[in-house]
Amino acid sequence: MIGRAGIDWRHFQVILERWGVLVAFALLLGISTYKQGFDFLNPENVRALLNSNAPVGILAVGMTLVIACGGIDLSVGSIVVLAAALGTTAMNRCIESGASELNAVLLGGAVTIGSGILAGCVNGALVVFGRIAPFIATLGGLAAFRSMSLAIADAGEIRSQSAALFSALGRGGIPIPGLENAGGKPLTLSYSTVIFFVVAAIAQWFLSRARFGRHLIAVGANETAARYSGVSVAWIRFRVYAVMGLLAGVAALVQSSRMNSVSTSQLGLGSELDAIAAVVIGGTSLRGGFGRVWGTVVGVLILGMITNVLTISGVSPYWQGAIKGAVIVLAVLVQRPARA
Amino acid sequence: MTEEVVLAVRSVTVEYPGVRALDSVSIAFRSHEIHAIVGENGAGKSTLMRVLAGAVEPSHGSLELCGRSVKFAQPSDAIRGGIAMVHQELNLVPTLTVAENISLGREPMRRGGVSVNRPLQVARAIELLAVVGAQIDPQRLASSLSIAQAQFVEIAKCLASEARVLIFDEPTAVLGANEAVRLHKVLEQLRTAGRTIIFISHHLDEVASLADCVSVLRDGALVAAFRRHGKGPLQDAAGDSVDAARLACAMVGRSVGSIYPPKGNAFVGENAIELRHFGAQGRSQGINLAVARGEIVGLAGLVGSGRTETAEAIVGLRAAVGTLLIRGRAMRPSSPRTAMRAGIGYVSEDRKGSGLQLSLSCIENTTLPSLDAVSKYCGLVVDRKAQRAVTAKWIAALGVRCARPALPVSTLSGGNQQKIALARWLETKPHVLIIDEPTRGVDVGAKGEIYDIIARLARGGLACIIISSELPELIGLAHRVVVIHAGRVAGEIDRAGLMQRDCESQIMRLASGIPIELEGAA
Repeated sequence: MIGRAGIDWRHFQVILERWGVLVAFALLLGISTYKQGFDFLNPENVRALLNSNAPVGILAVGMTLVIACGGIDLSVGSIVVLAAALGTTAMNRCIESGASELNAVLLGGAVTIGSGILAGCVNGALVVFGRIAPFIATLGGLAAFRSMSLAIADAGEIRSQSAALFSALGRGGIPIPGLENAGGKPLTLSYSTVIFFVVAAIAQWFLSRARFGRHLIAVGANETAARYSGVSVAWIRFRVYAVMGLLAGVAALVQSSRMNSVSTSQLGLGSELDAIAAVVIGGTSLRGGFGRVWGTVVGVLILGMITNVLTISGVSPYWQGAIKGAVIVLAVLVQRPARA
Repeated sequence: MTEEVVLAVRSVTVEYPGVRALDSVSIAFRSHEIHAIVGENGAGKSTLMRVLAGAVEPSHGSLELCGRSVKFAQPSDAIRGGIAMVHQELNLVPTLTVAENISLGREPMRRGGVSVNRPLQVARAIELLAVVGAQIDPQRLASSLSIAQAQFVEIAKCLASEARVLIFDEPTAVLGANEAVRLHKVLEQLRTAGRTIIFISHHLDEVASLADCVSVLRDGALVAAFRRHGKGPLQDAAGDSVDAARLACAMVGRSVGSIYPPKGNAFVGENAIELRHFGAQGRSQGINLAVARGEIVGLAGLVGSGRTETAEAIVGLRAAVGTLLIRGRAMRPSSPRTAMRAGIGYVSEDRKGSGLQLSLSCIENTTLPSLDAVSKYCGLVVDRKAQRAVTAKWIAALGVRCARPALPVSTLSGGNQQKIALARWLETKPHVLIIDEPTRGVDVGAKGEIYDIIARLARGGLACIIISSELPELIGLAHRVVVIHAGRVAGEIDRAGLMQRDCESQIMRLASGIPIELEGAA
């Protein structure tokens, strides 16, 4: 069959709207590989890329849920640092008091994740029961949670006292058979990457299959109609922020264990914006009512790849922000719905 | 009075992928004329309006403005050409005052052109509001207006643009009977002033009594045109007079008998719901009403009389006063969720705002309140197969016309959206269903279908409370009609009373607060 002359632009636009993020990913991958050749597709580089973007990725997964529900959470970066600071401090105290390293690490992890959930609950309570706009409520959190962690460590660094176990969580991984790094050791898929993908898979499943997810989408699409339909809107929104807090706690654990220390002035700084950018690139609507976690995952990879490629090709870090910004705006431009 | 052709469409065709929304339509709109466009939903009325307003460019054919061929590439071109549209969904900025809204984009400036001349702005607003006969303080915020008031402000706003052609998309759909009469007066005044009024309406009585000219669209084509000569009735080309029934005939292309189904018998003595001295806090009080299984009770009243608020209090959307008995048990739902568990459903009057998730699919919309029932593992996982089956069941049972259930419900016509809104609640297996404005924005054909559905449900034992501003609908459908005035029951018309010829005026009197007969002498 011979195709008609000319492309139906409208049709093309619909395709872009839905699959644009994958097209962008493929394009970027192509360009990167063309420019960098084997350097870029080097398994070690890919591993590093995934590894370094996992924490932001975990945040972005939670942010997808928050945004699909019609909210926003600006405090996630600060939750990360607060949760990491509290968790690491608890772990150190535990070790100082003579507990075994394993118990200390378990306690530290629990405190990290627990304080993440707690911070998320505070956000949720402010938004739901305090009836404060999510932007404002979490803007408060952005300032407050960071400030608390600075106070805990006098704006300094909290070094973990765990000699091996804690950092093994952050730096270790599952060996991939058949792949070796330059030193001849087996290449590993880091735990953080595994956690990122597992979290993303669970969230995608929850969003599309679980009752919680469908209610969340209904609330994002039309809150009033959801309430009229007997959905407990308050409870759904509260839980979304709590889940976001939980994931921020997980991200904090991944970050602090990798560094084996917590820099209270640097950790998580600005990562809320990276997370939101990834969500938007992934095609989730900022107006709520539609969300896709897999898009967010691709969005995270796109953002990571840009930084990675620019760094490898020696572009000044000062310029990287401009290029990233352009890509974010371009992604939204391409994916915005065709004008009715 | 010179009646010149102001605006004309000449064999205009609009094609969308796979659909011909308008098929070679030619209509001339004259000055000093009220021109009604009628047709079922999907007949092409809205597309025609959008062509006139510059929101859609025709694939073929041309537009003529005062005899000159014009092209409207965007809405601002049409506005510059003197064509203003009063939208069905009102476009006021809620945080600005009435006066600011009216002069939005055309603010009168002080000398120097920096600051707005507020006194002049307010004076103009007062002037224009007087023209539309609305007494509204121009300093009020638009957000504090009722829907009817907002509609009049919207019209005043169009007048401010000195448009020659005013297009109204279902202007009376959101108005109560009194406000509708006022709007008709305004339209007639505008006609006398020489403007061209184009309006879409589903109220065929209104069209038959008001319009000088009626164009009937069906499946995108112009199938009939009627004119009024002098003060006489509408006539067709052969000179025969045309009434609302004839218009309905022309719209659907077949003759329509009574669109109201026969009334079944209520299960007397088995009260599904009973209100005792019930009311919505601050909005209504002292309402006594019992609805038996299988009974359809109509709630009449003016917009703002407290009908809707009372319904909202029943399902826990508002604070309630008094006693509520459901199947004999006293309870006070605190939210639609608890009301749903008690077996009460409420289909809201505002499909777009509070009735449906328009951007979500028919499947999602149908199963939203009943997700528990279509879930596995203690309601944790949604069973998509069950979800689809439930939706398919209701699509078949209610005769919903949709291309695919997975498409957003916004792609459906008003009537089919309303059926989905009904299905959403029917799937919760209610004992009592409160339906607020069951046929707002629904065309004639689908109206009849919805009436059939309601009557069928009642025969099956469902207790129905119908709230409506359309009296013929209440009279034709309900076993009895309770009239609310200023938050209290003003009177009740029983089944025998609804057979009387004067029942409509009786209801209107009660609704306006005029006591009749024995009802508490004034």
